[in-house]
Amino acid sequence: MALREPAWRVTARELETSLEEEKGVGDRAASYLLSPFAARMNRVLVAGTLSPAEPIGRDETQPFWRSRLTDPTGAVAVTAGSFQPRAMAQLRSSPAPRPALVVGKTHLYRGRDGVGYVSVRAEGMRFVGEAEERAEVAEIVRQSLDRLDLVERIAREPSVPDATLAAEGIPRTWIRAARESLRRYPNVDRVAFRRDLRPAVRHVAGDSGPIAPGPAPPPSVTITRAPPAPPAPPPRTAAERAEESAFLDRLDELADASADGYADLKELVARLADEGVSAERAELVLGRLEEDGVVEEPIVGKLRRA
Amino acid sequence: MSAERPPATIPEVRLRDLRPSVSPVELVGRVVSFDRREVVRKSDQSRRPLLSGLLSDGTATVRFTWWDPPREGIERGTILRAVGVEVREFRDRPEVTFTWRTRVSAAGPADLPRVDSEEIPFRSVSELGPPDEGFRVEVRVVRIAPRTVTVGEERRVVHDGLVADRSGAIALSSWSDFGLLPGEAVRISGGYVRQFRGRSQLVLDERATVVRVEGRDLPAPEALLRAPPRTIAAVEDAGGGETVAVEGVVVGLLPPSGLVYRCPTCARTVKNGICRIHGQVEGRADLRARIVLDDGTGALTVNAGRAETERLWGVTLDDARRRLREQPDPSLIEEALLESLLGRRLRVRGVGTKDDFGVTVVPESIEPVEVDLDAAAAELAARLSGGT
Repeated sequence: MALREPAWRVTARELETSLEEEKGVGDRAASYLLSPFAARMNRVLVAGTLSPAEPIGRDETQPFWRSRLTDPTGAVAVTAGSFQPRAMAQLRSSPAPRPALVVGKTHLYRGRDGVGYVSVRAEGMRFVGEAEERAEVAEIVRQSLDRLDLVERIAREPSVPDATLAAEGIPRTWIRAARESLRRYPNVDRVAFRRDLRPAVRHVAGDSGPIAPGPAPPPSVTITRAPPAPPAPPPRTAAERAEESAFLDRLDELADASADGYADLKELVARLADEGVSAERAELVLGRLEEDGVVEEPIVGKLRRA
Repeated sequence: MSAERPPATIPEVRLRDLRPSVSPVELVGRVVSFDRREVVRKSDQSRRPLLSGLLSDGTATVRFTWWDPPREGIERGTILRAVGVEVREFRDRPEVTFTWRTRVSAAGPADLPRVDSEEIPFRSVSELGPPDEGFRVEVRVVRIAPRTVTVGEERRVVHDGLVADRSGAIALSSWSDFGLLPGEAVRISGGYVRQFRGRSQLVLDERATVVRVEGRDLPAPEALLRAPPRTIAAVEDAGGGETVAVEGVVVGLLPPSGLVYRCPTCARTVKNGICRIHGQVEGRADLRARIVLDDGTGALTVNAGRAETERLWGVTLDDARRRLREQPDPSLIEEALLESLLGRRLRVRGVGTKDDFGVTVVPESIEPVEVDLDAAAAELAARLSGGT
């Protein structure tokens, strides 16, 4: 069972530089947005000034709102749709730019020209006082620096074992993210990123006053269609799903009872035959489950859950 | 029970040294617990009585199965000598079976193997896990308090607390009064570890020995109760703990939160007027918040009860019920609670347990955290100028 994804504390600048993705495979797999600075984000917490939201899309049954969160380092789009009714209601509620905290899922959209746009789909948000917003920016900068230090250390010393870093109290998710950042962004300018954090520190100190909201996005942009999703497999009928679940039940039983943890294919087919499932049908179901990555056959004739 | 003496050829073993083998062994042990049942043989539907439970000799505890046991004369605490016992292994632990070939007779405390306390190995608290026994520990009593419980028909006093050494802390449950006081350092032998509600617990009874020691190397109780917060990732790795301290931001609430109704008998939350155990009941209103706390390294659930929820929210149970009367939609209550909590920075101390859904903390304290902005800015500025 996967644990809840943590909300990575990131600046808008870090989100703007994040252009790599890791797509999960299998059932209910999470996808991650990878930053150059040791963040492997499914969920983030951002803080800044949120501009008034505007509706996007023309389908009235599928309302979708977008706003812009500006922090001292940059800006990022914050969206909420009918699947986030609470966040959407709040996003719509503010007539003027106000400091806010937003927790949400990262989303990377690649346009036709290949340019990536990162947005945060809000799960929860709250308008806050300026002090509270500055406190959160402080924590974001602190964790950004911690992660940046980690990437730089691993860049200098690639052979340092994960166990050594973990023993120092560095979260394993951070170590994994740092190694992935170095692999995906070998030539990124980390010095520039460190410099980009300076205005945020001045903001924490209260030297720069409240953040002015960034320029409004061009009014001409209207998205009437969601970005194209990868072609989905044809939906299963209820009968097919029942077949698959019966197949998996038998597989689990056999795997549990066997010494090596594998279910023997012949035995499985025989059992299903007892239940009136023909061998051809069983092969077909197996083929579907293998294609979906639910079941694998690492040894010929031996099956297990992937 | 037969009173025959064993033939000299069968070796007597301590339970600690028990290994699965083809040749039968002799052993002496005390019945710690047992159950009687009947097994129906499939071939001829015949019924065979069976007695199974735990047997201990002070060096270890093993599961035993006794086919065709006597109808009477077996009680908790009965000491038995069994000759011709079969030893098998189940899930890497030895188990013994008394069959028709086994001769079982009554024995006395003097027959139990003599365990020299100097022989028992010292263990650190972090190494302890169920179902360990036959170890010694040197620990500091962090806290301890008596509690009355009902065991079957009986009212008994159990001394609940927490003990710790440098490696970690473990819950203590003592069924015998050793006069323990908070702050004392003690050497304990004869205890055992069990899993209780997802936590490891060191259990002491009249068989345990407690000796006061100086305990110079043991941490002070305050050091444990006021330890600085750790990352949630570290708490997840450790699988929770007896003295969890974390700091994070509220990123959500899990259901059921807000105004809930509890079964008057068992205090479980009632859904649609139905208790999972007691069926249709008249639920008692309560306020709770299942807070998702996140520090950027991980997330955990904090189960805040009524008092903490009222204090954090600033709304009492009565207020919430009044609101419900005005606007009969319980989800509005939960929404208002989330609205007031989301994004708030909290420091939480308590007992953490881990299951498939992650770590859940039952809080001893929840404190809002005030951030010193000037100090934070100075620290971050120093780090930035030092790093480039």
